[in-house]
Amino acid sequence: MGSNARVQAPAQNTGNVIRDSALGIVPRTVEPYLALNAAVWDAGPLSAAEVELARLRNARHTGCVMCQAVRYDVAISDGLTEEKVQMIRGAEPDAELSARERLLVAFVDQYNLDPSGIDQGLQNALLQEFSEAELLHLSLLVAWFNGSSRCAVALGGMPDAMPRMEISIPR
Amino acid sequence: MNWIVQGLDREQLLDRLPAIGGAFRQLYESVFELPQVSAETLELCRLRLAQLHRSAADFALEECPVSAPQRAQLQDWPQSPLFSDEQRACLAFTEVYAMDCSAITDAQADAVKAHIGEEGLVALLQALGVFDGLIRLGLIWQAKPAGVRQHGQ
Repeated sequence: MGSNARVQAPAQNTGNVIRDSALGIVPRTVEPYLALNAAVWDAGPLSAAEVELARLRNARHTGCVMCQAVRYDVAISDGLTEEKVQMIRGAEPDAELSARERLLVAFVDQYNLDPSGIDQGLQNALLQEFSEAELLHLSLLVAWFNGSSRCAVALGGMPDAMPRMEISIPR
Repeated sequence: MNWIVQGLDREQLLDRLPAIGGAFRQLYESVFELPQVSAETLELCRLRLAQLHRSAADFALEECPVSAPQRAQLQDWPQSPLFSDEQRACLAFTEVYAMDCSAITDAQADAVKAHIGEEGLVALLQALGVFDGLIRLGLIWQAKPAGVRQHGQ
């Protein structure tokens, strides 16, 4: 992992973590970026706690220290506990997770490790537990967070560890 | 055949959840208009990701014209004289990004910046994020992209 940031963030402090990050130096994509991020949180049928669980599981795959340290306040308000977050930290999800949460984790793992290898068993289990809209929401939020998390890692400057920090959705 | 809503292609699936799928498509389309990296270079990187993911459907797709010889030699770009230095730097970066983004070296990032600057590096990363995402979505949904044109590989 690169220890030095590879890109200088813009010299501004708008209070918006996306605008003030290195992404802010490409103005044309900032608005679509913010719109997609907000839509993932606001416009899908999955709860904020489920979105956050999937986001954090994805961050484990990409190795993004910052993404793993962040907790979105909407997910905490929705009832996501730190105990639950710890249950998805291991290579194998904790047995105390609900069947629905285990399937959510299985989908994120499949997306990251072998998207073309999804088997009939997982497909059927997902179809039984989630509605069509929920599956599309889950898919798109993983695609979005995976891309943004990879971007954060590739830009370098990631510390080895960061304290847990609670933030709001940047808009 | 996708397993979520049978009979639909990848873009039709995105349209079933328009508030999010539409925003994803808007970001995808916006990267081809970025002044920091040429659309042709981005298309080569998208096609290389398709090859690395073994997505023949995404490789067959044409988002921006690239020459037939470049398409044909893309898999062996390091040995080919058909690619510019800028394209070579971006393709080398793309390959490591696809395998393990934490393995990208400062030298690989510097090589990209030498041609397209810091803004170009950010633009390239944003583009790779949506390209990789759309390819993975097609694979996990088992849904082909709409509007595929056939190209010889």
